[in-house]
Amino acid sequence: MKNKTSQIIIIYILTSLFIAIISFKLLKNFTSYIDCYFFSFIKDLLFIILTGLIFRFILSKNDKRNSLFFEDLKKINEKIKESNEKYDIVAKATSDTIWDWKIPEDHITWNKGIKSIYGYNQNQVGNNSKWWFNNLHPEDSIKMSIKLYSFIEQKTEKWQDEYRFKCADNTYKYVLDRGFLLKDKDGKAIRMIGAIQDITKQKEEENRLKLLETVFTETKDSIIITEAGSNENQIPKIVFANPAYTIMSGYDHAEIIGKSPVAFMGKNSDTQQIEKLLSAINNKTECSIEIICYKKDHSEYWVRLSFIPVYNLEQELSHWISIQRDISEEKKLEKEKEQLIRELTQNNKDLKQFSYITSHNLRAPLSNLTGLLNLIEDISIDDDELKEILTGFKISTHLLNETIDDLAKVITIKDSHSVHNEEIFISTVFKNIFNQISFQLETFKPEINLNFGNVVKINTNKIYFESIILNLLTNAIKYRSEDRKLHIDIFIVETYNTILLTFKDNGIGIDLDRNKDKIFGLYQRFHNYTDSKGLGLYLVKSQIEAMGGSISIESEINKGTTFTLTFKNQL
Amino acid sequence: MLDLILCIDDDPIALMLIKKNIRKVNFSKEIVTAQNGEEALDFFKSLNSTQSNSTINIQPQLIFLDLNMPVMGGWEFLDYFNNDEYSNFNNIKVIVLSSTIDPDDIEKSKAYPMVIDFLPKPITTEMLFYLKTKI
Repeated sequence: MKNKTSQIIIIYILTSLFIAIISFKLLKNFTSYIDCYFFSFIKDLLFIILTGLIFRFILSKNDKRNSLFFEDLKKINEKIKESNEKYDIVAKATSDTIWDWKIPEDHITWNKGIKSIYGYNQNQVGNNSKWWFNNLHPEDSIKMSIKLYSFIEQKTEKWQDEYRFKCADNTYKYVLDRGFLLKDKDGKAIRMIGAIQDITKQKEEENRLKLLETVFTETKDSIIITEAGSNENQIPKIVFANPAYTIMSGYDHAEIIGKSPVAFMGKNSDTQQIEKLLSAINNKTECSIEIICYKKDHSEYWVRLSFIPVYNLEQELSHWISIQRDISEEKKLEKEKEQLIRELTQNNKDLKQFSYITSHNLRAPLSNLTGLLNLIEDISIDDDELKEILTGFKISTHLLNETIDDLAKVITIKDSHSVHNEEIFISTVFKNIFNQISFQLETFKPEINLNFGNVVKINTNKIYFESIILNLLTNAIKYRSEDRKLHIDIFIVETYNTILLTFKDNGIGIDLDRNKDKIFGLYQRFHNYTDSKGLGLYLVKSQIEAMGGSISIESEINKGTTFTLTFKNQL
Repeated sequence: MLDLILCIDDDPIALMLIKKNIRKVNFSKEIVTAQNGEEALDFFKSLNSTQSNSTINIQPQLIFLDLNMPVMGGWEFLDYFNNDEYSNFNNIKVIVLSSTIDPDDIEKSKAYPMVIDFLPKPITTEMLFYLKTKI
């Protein structure tokens, strides 16, 4: 501008001087001194007009240019103002923390976010990059600085990075940092501005989801997720399937997606179960079924599967989750078990039948023998030897008969269908029993202390109950001690529908240390008595167990034996 | 004393025992025997045909029946005997006399109305006295 001005002035001076000199020369040559004043006047006038016009032209041109220039400035100013306002608004509105790093001076300024998000007070915040780098998580700092410097040296186009940044309270937050560079004319980075976004929540959620996902991917149970519904009354299409499902079904993941679970069922799949599942899906209720499915190689396998409805935040059904487990092995075992039980039941039945037949076939001729012996009784025999033989014959037959009767009893007891309960009066039962062994009671005169308190009646099997008491009584008499009078204590109490019966004697006792396991066994004899068959306690135990009760024994040699019996007093 | 009874048993000794005991207590004047159910049915068939000839013929008043017999057992006999074919005889009472201990057998016998008792072998005079009071 100044240059232009001096240019114009120089041009003006030169032009004026040139005109003045030309005028002077012309005057000197062509005019006389007479006209001199007049001419000089004219010349001055012309000069003034000429220079005036020239000035006007130059000034108006300048004026125009200036006003244009001013307009431009004004516009730029407004733009800057607006941009500043925008920046302020954005900086306020953003949750990001903005930093501004003057690289040559290594000076960083942080916006308010450094306090509101990371908890640092203004005086705690360092103003150089060192402070920044020091607050990086040690595991992230190297990776982060490598990426950052390669960006500053402009080896990379863009820069954004995730790292953990330490807060004032020494906890770390996950952040996403994005920045851009400002360069000077030589293209050297002089300034970098960035925004740090706190992504801790996202990161934690991400980690949580990753963890939850491992359930889906790692579990041995097959899991599929289906759509909420299907429009053609089908089981909805699968949208996800976990690896366990692909392993179980033999299909690839891509082959599974978009199919209805029905596609994996086939001719042996129970249609009733499918119907059950369908109706549960229609009713939006949970459902669990067991069904045969088919692998890709068409082999069958049993699956226990559940369908659970999943609702979204709006309480609308969004998906179904189905957890499935291959239970082929279980089913196989179950089948084998059923087969085994069937066989065992049949075997048992056969054996029982066999024992009845055997018993019958033994008893038939034996009953003939008894009948024949009965007939002989009425015939008088004179031959003494024959008489003796017949007596022996009779005793043996009688013994054989008794044994077979006992065995028959055992068989019938084991056939527990024959247990019928009835209400019996305890006093009547004992009177009955004492009558049956009145001869023995007369002979040995035991002192029997019977105490049944307020238990008057028992609901039980009369025959068994009598047989049990009778067996215990005759045992007590049989195994009494010769050194002392026989005492028998019988106590009956009732607690919670259970009758507890204690039967105590002061007899010779049993060596339980040696015989604990055999005491209630079949054909176990513990004393060398001729009329002992080793059946009594076995019968007692069988009978009481057939009635749902139990028996236990305590005994001390030469002190006595105590039996404790429980009966269910069923009504 | 009864006039006629029928004993059905395949065991000759058992039959002998029945006969001897019956005679002993004068339980019946006459005793007919059959070795199995089929023979017994034949006996009743012959009774039927002679009766149609209007000759007066006495029916057995009581039957002693064994259960386990070859050819036709006691149960099968009872099933046939219950049919209309033998309706002339359905007032005859039956005593099952058996060595069985199978509780199902006793239960089963209750289903036949003509069976009035189920007695264990061997037959004894006491049993016959008891039956006398029952008939």
